[in-house]
Amino acid sequence: MSKIRVVQYINQFFAQIGGEEKADIPAELREGPVGPGLALNQAWGDEAEVVATIICGDSYFNENLEKAQAEVLEMVKSQNPDMFIAGPAFNAGRYGVACGTIAKAVQDNLNIPVLTGMYEENPGADMFKKDVYIVATKNSAAGMRDAIKKMAPLALKLARHEAIGASCEEGYMPNGVRVNLFEKERGSARAVKMLIAKLNGKPFTTEFPMPTFDRVAPNPAVKDMAHATVALCTSGGIVPLGNPDHIESSSASHYGEYDITGVMDLDAAHWATAHGGYDPVYANEDADRVLPVDILREMEKEGRIGKLHNKFYTTVGNGTAVASSKAFAAEYAQKLKADGVDCVIMTST
Amino acid sequence: MKFVIVTNNPRVRDELGKEFEVDFADITYREVLCKVRDMIYGGHKLLTHPLSGSVKPNETPYKSILVDKRWGKMDPQDASIIENSIITADKFSVKFPEMPDSVREDFQLIDTTLIKSALMSIPEIF
Amino acid sequence: MKKLELGNILIHDVQFSNEGSKVENGVLYVNKEEICKIALEDENIASCEVFLARPGESVRITPVKDVIEPRVKVEGKGGIFPGWIAKVDTVGEGRTHVLKGAAVVTTGKIVGFQEGIIDMSGPGADYTPFSKTYNVVVKMEPVEGLKQHEHEYALRIAGFKIACFLGELGRNVTPDEVKTYEFDNIVESAAKYPNLPRVAYVQMLQSQGLLHDTYVYGVDAKKTLTTIITPTEVMDGAIVSGNCVSSCDKNPTYVHMNNPVVTDLFEQHGKTLNFVGMIITNENVYLADKERSSNWSAKLAKYLGCDGVIISQEGFGNPDTDLIMNTKKIEAEGIKTVIITDEYAGRDGKSQSLADADPSADAVVTGGNANQVIVLPPMETVYGHLEFVDTIAGGSANNIDAHGNITVEIQAITGATNETGFNYLSAR
Repeated sequence: MSKIRVVQYINQFFAQIGGEEKADIPAELREGPVGPGLALNQAWGDEAEVVATIICGDSYFNENLEKAQAEVLEMVKSQNPDMFIAGPAFNAGRYGVACGTIAKAVQDNLNIPVLTGMYEENPGADMFKKDVYIVATKNSAAGMRDAIKKMAPLALKLARHEAIGASCEEGYMPNGVRVNLFEKERGSARAVKMLIAKLNGKPFTTEFPMPTFDRVAPNPAVKDMAHATVALCTSGGIVPLGNPDHIESSSASHYGEYDITGVMDLDAAHWATAHGGYDPVYANEDADRVLPVDILREMEKEGRIGKLHNKFYTTVGNGTAVASSKAFAAEYAQKLKADGVDCVIMTST
Repeated sequence: MKFVIVTNNPRVRDELGKEFEVDFADITYREVLCKVRDMIYGGHKLLTHPLSGSVKPNETPYKSILVDKRWGKMDPQDASIIENSIITADKFSVKFPEMPDSVREDFQLIDTTLIKSALMSIPEIF
Repeated sequence: MKKLELGNILIHDVQFSNEGSKVENGVLYVNKEEICKIALEDENIASCEVFLARPGESVRITPVKDVIEPRVKVEGKGGIFPGWIAKVDTVGEGRTHVLKGAAVVTTGKIVGFQEGIIDMSGPGADYTPFSKTYNVVVKMEPVEGLKQHEHEYALRIAGFKIACFLGELGRNVTPDEVKTYEFDNIVESAAKYPNLPRVAYVQMLQSQGLLHDTYVYGVDAKKTLTTIITPTEVMDGAIVSGNCVSSCDKNPTYVHMNNPVVTDLFEQHGKTLNFVGMIITNENVYLADKERSSNWSAKLAKYLGCDGVIISQEGFGNPDTDLIMNTKKIEAEGIKTVIITDEYAGRDGKSQSLADADPSADAVVTGGNANQVIVLPPMETVYGHLEFVDTIAGGSANNIDAHGNITVEIQAITGATNETGFNYLSAR
């Protein structure tokens, strides 16, 4: 059997071109292994080899995202590899994000198995651990040997399309997909050990992390409401009648921005809800019940608030992924900030 | 206590319908859960766990749930239980297309005993 | 101080015998007629067959009703299975002999979706603890027209009687090993181990209705308030199973008698912790019962002065709510918890694992994802009724291929994802 062909992506630093001052070098393809690829080849022996290395500056990749991604994809494709490895990036943030981005792009566009590695607190880890296999590494390049020890065998399994074991066996970061394994100790013995650790304040790792719910610490109160610009936002799906932007009734893929300049009241002739998860009758009768424009207009008139912002942002919360919701809000929060909004009332259903 | 048994199980209708208020409809397991969900959002109190029984939601076609007839404030814990139950039921995707009548009757019986076990817990009845 | 000695007679083979049943040199000799006679004492049982299944054999047992360990009370008050076979004397003291390595496996069709597979070899054997025991398989058929309630009762009692009959064979045999379980009252233990954390075990018992019931000294657990039991009592069969749905995460009577949380807490008792007692609570259908029972779990854990508890679950769906209620309320008392559960994360492992969740449940041991698919190759011999395999949980229509391979989820396998931590399976 011929050797498995691997293409590896690394940054300027690991290619020993330079540090931050060289971070703007564009993507370049070199034959054979460079830097960490040598260690990978050694670990694989006759089974696989890095046939080409793509080197790209971290700034170049992140600042020219689409262009850089297209260039790297083209280079990977030209080598027709069986496997793609990005990094390991350890604790280097932009490198980690680049590794995650390009690994996901290769997986999605070229349908080639991919693997990357980084420190668990690298921002790239949270962004991509559900999309691609990421080996958890130490927080600096001093952990290279350890990283290669985990990445080399996992890469072989992925390249051969073998069954991938549980995260704790293979060394990748938990990715939300539950995989069974046989433990050396039975469950009760593991429970007793875990309890002893918990009682003694020692670290322990739960075998099933409960789904986490984001808790957002409230901002300090707005001191001067009488001069504040207040915006309304909702996950209750209030949209102009006819839902012009086609916001989905569940699992929404986007949000809408609508102008309410001069609108005193959301009447049934012009406004309705797109939400599919609650009885829409009352919202459709009077959309102010979900998005209280009428009351805020009154407050505006009475001088209790400075003014109501002339745009509102809306989506449907029904079954919409938390990650999508976060992305929507991150985007329109910037618009609200740019428009000088002081505070936001977010209504749910 | 005034309560209603929401069910799609004809055996529950026939066996318990004379003594108790039974809201029977020839609908799916999931539709029973959704019907109860709507009642809970309307302010009714959930009295029994919607996933009663260890028989999996893709195995048995039958489901009976006790709901308080009185209206009140929507109970967030009830809402969470019924929503999670629907999510749980949905993940059992592989369904049994057909089953012999004898198995169907067994499922009806099990569902009936589950709801009867709950009726025994209502102090005013027994 | 309470003390129970378990005298283990290590069984390494099981054989049929034309003479009387006996235990000799670690071999359990079984006389079929004697077993059948016991089963047929019940007029509701029309026929009985006995088979033997040894580890490594090409044998499949299905549908499994219950698994029971043969034991006999040699010294001390009461007898095995109080409330059923023995009177309701409080058990858990004295000496009990165990045919360790042997098990009675009852099989019979009560309902059309009966479940539970034990494969004695092949890939399925890895998933069930009962592929490692020498099994006396008892297949019983009911008289015509017998109602499911009575049918379940008949099989359950016959299983206990047969296990006691076999256990009795060990009465005068010298055990290969004796394990001693000492249990102090709370005043004594507090004085003895003033510096060790106080730990209790909270066991949740399945209690929802027909085929979903558990009994404590003969009492239906759904009609009980959360209570305290000394851990040695369960070793004499104080808790028995009437539960034969959700075979992967139900507790057969064998598991109650060998409750692994009890054994493993005893192992640490006096060393790293002070095992102060066992709280048993139910998993009723009625939500107010759940509230009350979990309130009482928390109250009793506090009353025992616990620093920590281990909570085990039984079953799917509904009990997730009890589990989370127990955990939240016990943690709210400042008592640290570790919970044992299993998961239904879908065949692809991507779905939400539990039907309820709470951040206070931060220390979880899992018995694995019960939706994992497994292909079970054909076995030379099947004891029981294979025709049910396509209607059981985790099976699906037409799941037997031309070569006899059965594709099922591991939830069909007895004990695969046991939530007392009896098995080795887990998930990440």
